[in-house]
Amino acid sequence: MKYQVVIAGIGGQGAVFLVKVLSIAASLKDQKCLGTENHGMSQRGGSVSCYVKVGDFHSPAIDEGQADLLIALEGNEGLRNIQYLEKTKGTIIVNADSKFPKIEYKTIKIDAFSKARNKEFPIQALNVYMLGITLARDPNFPFSLNDIEKAIKQMNAKMAAKNIEVLHQAIEDARNI
Amino acid sequence: MKDILMGNDAIALALIHANVDMISGYPGTPSSEILGNFQKFKDKFGVDAYAQWATNEKVGFEVAYAGAIAGRTTCATMKQVGLNVASDALMSASYIGLKGAMLLIVADDPGFHSSQTEQDSRSFAKFAKIPVLDPATPDEAYNMVKLGIEISKKFETVTMLRPVMRVCHAREICEVDEKLDFNPQKGEFKREIKRWAAVPPAGRFRQGLEQFERIEAIKEYNWNELIEPKIKKLQGAKTLCLTSGTGNGYVIEALEEMKIEADVLKLDMPYPLPKEKIEALFVNYEQVIVFEETYPCIEEQLSSPKLHGKLTNDVHKIDEFTKDKVLAAFSNVGLIEKNQFYKSAKYADELPVRPPNLCPGCPHRDVYYSVMKVFKKKKSIYPSDIGCYTLGLNQGAIDTVLCMGGSISMASGFSIADPSKTVVATLGDSTFMHSGVSPLINAVYQNHKFVLLILDNSTTAMTGRQKTPERINPSKIDIKKIVEGCGVECHEYEYTPNVDKTIDFMKFLKTKYENATGPVVAVIREFCILDKERAPEKLPQVFAEVDEDKCVECDICTTLYKCPPMNYNENHKIEIDPFLCIGCSACLDDVCPTDAFIKVEK
Repeated sequence: MKYQVVIAGIGGQGAVFLVKVLSIAASLKDQKCLGTENHGMSQRGGSVSCYVKVGDFHSPAIDEGQADLLIALEGNEGLRNIQYLEKTKGTIIVNADSKFPKIEYKTIKIDAFSKARNKEFPIQALNVYMLGITLARDPNFPFSLNDIEKAIKQMNAKMAAKNIEVLHQAIEDARNI
Repeated sequence: MKDILMGNDAIALALIHANVDMISGYPGTPSSEILGNFQKFKDKFGVDAYAQWATNEKVGFEVAYAGAIAGRTTCATMKQVGLNVASDALMSASYIGLKGAMLLIVADDPGFHSSQTEQDSRSFAKFAKIPVLDPATPDEAYNMVKLGIEISKKFETVTMLRPVMRVCHAREICEVDEKLDFNPQKGEFKREIKRWAAVPPAGRFRQGLEQFERIEAIKEYNWNELIEPKIKKLQGAKTLCLTSGTGNGYVIEALEEMKIEADVLKLDMPYPLPKEKIEALFVNYEQVIVFEETYPCIEEQLSSPKLHGKLTNDVHKIDEFTKDKVLAAFSNVGLIEKNQFYKSAKYADELPVRPPNLCPGCPHRDVYYSVMKVFKKKKSIYPSDIGCYTLGLNQGAIDTVLCMGGSISMASGFSIADPSKTVVATLGDSTFMHSGVSPLINAVYQNHKFVLLILDNSTTAMTGRQKTPERINPSKIDIKKIVEGCGVECHEYEYTPNVDKTIDFMKFLKTKYENATGPVVAVIREFCILDKERAPEKLPQVFAEVDEDKCVECDICTTLYKCPPMNYNENHKIEIDPFLCIGCSACLDDVCPTDAFIKVEK
């Protein structure tokens, strides 16, 4: 199995957290996994893009036209990285409102910012929320809810309950997209 | 045992597993987490090791190197530009050698993600005549730390490990030792004046000859231990790819995915290479292509009409690898037709750029805003330095960025060259400690007239908030006393999130400058907004919103102040993003000429 994920967002939104969760999930399933993160200057509110490659890979970066999934924590950052998606089967799961343009990729869109503004979930958990949408709406995603819950617990047991609650809420919300 | 680790975690863990008991260095992306994680592992495992940040890379190198002379197993960490600072020590250390072991870890940054140069530290190792290992992934970095220590011990030489950003910040499931068997060495300096204090010319000439012998012996080792065991696995294809570090992964993936036939020989130690033995392999191939980041380090050591690489314009010369660049090289040498497999159209419309920015609530922003209000742009030159505060560029408050500590010496230079302007230099506390003191002494003794602002947030913020010397030991080290010791008065300002007060302080400095005959120096006591120990008590938690009737689209807040939550909405009025605003209240004072920023009443 080979599955490549690009996570795009803005420094501070917790893209690196998702790299950690997905790589732990892969290790729990005894899958090979190679990923790469942004640290340093790019963390200061700038554009970030992280990669996770599950399966038999040798280089940590993802080339254009290769990714199975693009998780975009913000709309424009999703568009900025759209070329990484595989042209026929690639899916973008994006946090964006109704102004998000129509594109030639399978698009799952949810306005997570407005839900956070309505205090439906804490904005700090935007990354986990979008992971929940992914679990609910990407049929090819190589991890189950159980896999991700285990990974979240392993990563930070103290915060796990809150994060898992957001994950479940996102899965519930995804029914109404 | 399997463990999921980031490259810098894997390196830190391997250092402990390799019995490294002295580690020093200076933070710099992408190297910073190595020493930081070593400190965490040290505490977690309760091992007895020295692990401290040095004031700069040269100091860090020298501390570790002396440890190795005294028989300990040591390590120094830095980023590639840090090696420039430590290079004076390295060049001599390479002649002299050592008794214990020393691994010099220098993290490179192909693609300039967080660096001002893309220099290749493997080529620096070649210049200094020390062996260098180039890991491709975190798992390999773990093993190469141990190998590097072994080589250093065996050949009594500083040995370099050169991970790139895509190794340091890559994450992989690594195979690591289950058991920790930490045996710190007891250091014992053995007097050997002819070696440790070799005097030129005769002493160093002799060591120069030994250096050549050592390198020849390491070439043999490289062939016997690292290269020859891989030769029998070569398949006998027509093309041979010589790879180093991360280049290897891109080449293997491209070959597999495109079903191209070629042999791959990864050179774990790209310097020193057994030239003749490697070239003898070329007989069986029609062509040989070298894939390495970022300089032609391997390519320059070999010669053959069959050899292709950066020097023959077949492989890209700048920026990090992609598989698309590997395919381009394959097509340049005629192995495949031109191929667009790894190309895909970018989003066609223009997207707003999102460069890194000072955090909401960062005191640097107010300082730069106030500097420009008081020392007008037309009549000023603003040299700055390396750190978070370099992002003052976004506000237009920085004219030059060169290297660590360069702001002060350049302020001297500008004050001499263009005396009609007021030079206002800015640098942070960590950078001041790193290399700001000697240029300040230079400016004081020669009476160079400029304004120097030391922005003291008592942390090395950009690289992950490592603690600075005055933070750890405030009773002994204080920037104000250091400045006074350099022979000049040090004005002091305690930052508060009230722009009016910061502007008043700049006005005060301006009057001082007008009457000065030398540098006017001030330390501004700030805090880092991400500093959980200090920031919360400094933040008033007073949030701002916009009175749309008052906003006249003047752009002052979006150009001179540049706080990330401030953006125009669909009505062409400024709006404050409540998710980003941190409640510093600073913009309520002076920033808006029409007072459109108002307090959010709860």
